[in-house]
Amino acid sequence: MTPHDWYAEHRAAFVARALDAREERLFADHLGRCDECTREVTRLERELGWLPMGVTPAPPRPGLTHQLAEGVLRRRSAWRRLAPTAAAAAIAAAALGFGVHERQRGDTLAAELGRREAQLAAADSERSGQLASLAALEDTLSVMRQAQHVVQQDIAMNGHHGRLLIFQDAASHRWNVVMHGLPPAPAGEVYQFWFITGSGMVRSAELRSGGSGAALAMVSMPKVPGPVMGAALSVEPAVSRSVDQPTGPMLAHIEF
Amino acid sequence: MPEQPLSSRGELAAVPLGVAGQSTLRERLLARDERALVELIELATPWLLGLTQGMLHDQDEAEEVVLEVFQTVWDRVGALGEGHEGLMPWLLRVARNRAIDRLRRRSRWRRKAARAEAYGAAGGTAVPFREPDEAGHPGWHVHESVHAALAALPEEQRAVVRLSYFGGLSHSEIAEQLDLPLGTVKTRLRLALDKLRVSLAPIGDWIR
Repeated sequence: MTPHDWYAEHRAAFVARALDAREERLFADHLGRCDECTREVTRLERELGWLPMGVTPAPPRPGLTHQLAEGVLRRRSAWRRLAPTAAAAAIAAAALGFGVHERQRGDTLAAELGRREAQLAAADSERSGQLASLAALEDTLSVMRQAQHVVQQDIAMNGHHGRLLIFQDAASHRWNVVMHGLPPAPAGEVYQFWFITGSGMVRSAELRSGGSGAALAMVSMPKVPGPVMGAALSVEPAVSRSVDQPTGPMLAHIEF
Repeated sequence: MPEQPLSSRGELAAVPLGVAGQSTLRERLLARDERALVELIELATPWLLGLTQGMLHDQDEAEEVVLEVFQTVWDRVGALGEGHEGLMPWLLRVARNRAIDRLRRRSRWRRKAARAEAYGAAGGTAVPFREPDEAGHPGWHVHESVHAALAALPEEQRAVVRLSYFGGLSHSEIAEQLDLPLGTVKTRLRLALDKLRVSLAPIGDWIR
């Protein structure tokens, strides 16, 4: 089973919205990267488009369709009507309050307003970053929490002893890889994680150890035919990213 | 009884008439013809309401969803020209997705789903049989076709479709409801949807 098979098998379930919330998020995320699944999901949506008409129609209560039309059109009309009024009111207030008698104070307030807007924009940007971090953290934790297999192997380098931990999530076909107990990679070198597949070793993420705490990476399955049969960790020259086979010392070699 | 059509009341006299030379509802919506929106609301509301009431079991909330759907249509009218999806399936899809989103937001949704299932188990169904007084309703022939396609499914597959497609339950929730292995639910739903895709293929859009 290739990593993509799970998505291919669950296209109809995604369209039916029968996936669990977490699976649905994964699938939606995948659609952003996969033209084939996007095309197939669109086709399925079209083919099953009439299914909701299996229900019996419900005659609307008296006045409802009129309310709906008014609700849609009035909302737009109200915006059209109110927007110029609100703008005019704001301009008038600015002119009366600040422009005529207190031009200088108005300038100060305008500068303050600009500063506050900049602060708000910065806060928005920070919040977006925090939300992205939180989403990534939730994603990471979800893989760990629901991992079907956890593999651990002791590793050693230059007198240091650590461990490599792999949490495998069969549903999302993603792994969390945790390395701890090792010092930062020697200058000019990196800790390189590899997949062992039927068609050979496939380069994956670099693990960056700060010397204390753990180095962690979430990795997706490689896009190669055949199953993933294991994983490896080696030390590679930092400049050898174009090399597709390990060349440095092998710290871990795990076959499932 | 369905209410009197808006177009015959003269209450929306300010709404501009359709743009000359654009005959289909879709084309008129794309041209921002407000009367086309009114016509669409009259044609589609019973179906959208039937769907959302059946899913939400709450008339006020169902009407809110229907309003949101038409607001979406009007706000994103340009998207109507994209792809090949029919106008009515698009409305139904938006309505169903909104209803499912609401179901999942509810803290009490599990209780509602259980109630819906109890209703089904008691002989009721989210896919009711034809009611003669509805036969003259626009779009009724589509309902008959969909109903026939659903009726052709084995009962165990129909039950899974009912809970998923019309009840908004996920695989694992259906497995819990029906006390079935998760894999069985997935297989049944996949088989059912495969059959329905074939059965529903010949249906053409009745709103043009």
